Amino acid sequence: MIHIENLTKSFTSTTKKGFKKETITVNAVNEISFDCKPGRIFSLLGPNGAGKTTTLRMIAGIINPTSGTAIVDGIDISKGNDEVKKRIGFLTGSTGLYERLNPDETIEFFGKLYKIPAEKLNDRKEYLFEKLGINEFRKKRVGQMSTGMKQKVSIARTLIHDPEVLIFDEPTSGLDVITAESIIDLIRESKENNKTVIFSSHIMSEVDLLCDDLAIINKGAIIYNSTFENFKAEMKAKNLTQEFINRVKEA
Amino acid sequence: MNDLFIIVKKELTELLRDKKTIINSIVLPTLLVPILIFGSIKVTEMIQKSQQEKTIKIGLVNAPKEFLDMVSKDTLNQITTYNKVEDFKALIADETIQSAIVFPQDWNTKMDSLTASEVQIFRNGTKDNVNSRVSSLIEIYSAQLKEQRIAKLQIPTDKLTPIVENYIEVGEQKELFGKRIGGFIPYLFILTMWGGCLLAAVDLVTGEKERKTIETTLSLPISKFKVLLGKTIVASLLGFIPALLNLVGLILGLKFIPGIPESLNLAINEMLSFQSITLILLLLIPFSLFLSGLIIALVAGATSFKEAQSKASPIIMLIIIPLVLALMPGIELTWSTVLVPVLNIGLGVKEIMAGTIDMVQYAVILVSLIAFAIGAVYFSYKKFSDENAILK
Repeated sequence: MIHIENLTKSFTSTTKKGFKKETITVNAVNEISFDCKPGRIFSLLGPNGAGKTTTLRMIAGIINPTSGTAIVDGIDISKGNDEVKKRIGFLTGSTGLYERLNPDETIEFFGKLYKIPAEKLNDRKEYLFEKLGINEFRKKRVGQMSTGMKQKVSIARTLIHDPEVLIFDEPTSGLDVITAESIIDLIRESKENNKTVIFSSHIMSEVDLLCDDLAIINKGAIIYNSTFENFKAEMKAKNLTQEFINRVKEA
Repeated sequence: MNDLFIIVKKELTELLRDKKTIINSIVLPTLLVPILIFGSIKVTEMIQKSQQEKTIKIGLVNAPKEFLDMVSKDTLNQITTYNKVEDFKALIADETIQSAIVFPQDWNTKMDSLTASEVQIFRNGTKDNVNSRVSSLIEIYSAQLKEQRIAKLQIPTDKLTPIVENYIEVGEQKELFGKRIGGFIPYLFILTMWGGCLLAAVDLVTGEKERKTIETTLSLPISKFKVLLGKTIVASLLGFIPALLNLVGLILGLKFIPGIPESLNLAINEMLSFQSITLILLLLIPFSLFLSGLIIALVAGATSFKEAQSKASPIIMLIIIPLVLALMPGIELTWSTVLVPVLNIGLGVKEIMAGTIDMVQYAVILVSLIAFAIGAVYFSYKKFSDENAILK
């Protein structure tokens, strides 16, 4: 379960104009609120620069909010940053893998830091490697892998500690349909296992396939937040992509 | 503690799988000193040999017979005799001759009357080999003449040498060499350490940003301080190990490379005793942590290797200037210099190698370096925690 209330993140930048310094404060995310429930997939959609990544980074405890509350699996992120991180699996376009390690070493590294007992870690690793088809390249260094191979390993490292909350930002971006399908399967499986899933994508067919609840963020503010069922019922455009574009333009 | 160990192990594994790191931090530092020693010995030998075997062209005017015989005895001297003073400047410039010695016409008369006479030597000051060989010919001839005059005047030799100098060295060879060459040793250590720390720190911080793994690392359930400390420890190890290998290279070089004068070898072996090496290495541990912390703080906001290197490189001046000061005569380890980083290591190593280190001053250097290291790590933690800088 994720509960977000009036979450705000401001960034301050200083620019020099001759001898004068000018400080500008911008709200990348401005008082947003939403809830993500266990056993449901929540889609956070928005154009580039809308504040999606900042929101997801705050939920994952990577950056601190300026104000507001985010409660993840019962823990307020302002009170237990590391405890929140233990309960989250975080995968975005900017969470790359260590290129000089192989999949085995990568998963061991994460598993140990998540304090998973050795035997359990091994079982979970073997399960994920089997499920994602990593076994054939488990000793290959990440730097020598294809995009698809890397994404599979990234998914494995996101799921290794079997977290209660999963955040996937563009998880199938740049992947072939077969690899994308296996990842979609894993996200579905997480939902069936009663996990809370936040899924963000620009591929509307995937949103259509997975989404239970939906929020659209634009210029740091939530402009739509309801169930996907309601969204579809309220649609005026012919397809999801057009409806999304219209909503962002109207906001 | 366990988390820190896991971070250190992972960062070390990653760095040591990089060929660039292996070459810069292990291969080069080990081979650098032996190559420098071996190279300089061989190059000096080669230059000396080739200079000695070179023919020099000398022009002579009014040269007395004994001098002419002496010069012609060495087949490497090519003599041209002139009847009068020519335009020797032009002849030397167009390399017809390389030097000219002009004796006055009344040379023999002056010599017979036991008076002094002027000999003009035309030369180009930049031709060291020619000039030293011509000077040595003149000196030998002058000594011969002096002996002849003493014999002729029947003066006992001891009457002409009122003082017989006898220097008795009370300082140990170790102290003598330690003070003279001990200042150069930190150059090797500290510059190699700087290179190692810089390369590792940039790879561990800016490299992570370039490879898009910094966010992955920050999503781990461990504090930023532990991540930062792990990176600082690894960067300082990658600075300390090359410095240690430098030392190993120096010891091996002195042991196995032939041609080093025995007295120098003995003195250096004595200077590099187990005790002095331990004292030096103890200073280098906090210093490498200080350097790593400082570099990480400087490069935390950089987004590319190029930017990181341009941000950290000016620090090299803050290292070289105190090291140069440590080499200067008159600058000693005192209570005012013990607290200046780098300078205190330069001066401290000099004293350690000479065997004259004051252990209280040594302890103050060590404590001050530890304090600087803690300060640098705290500074780098502040920078590493700055979201605007680290996630840029």
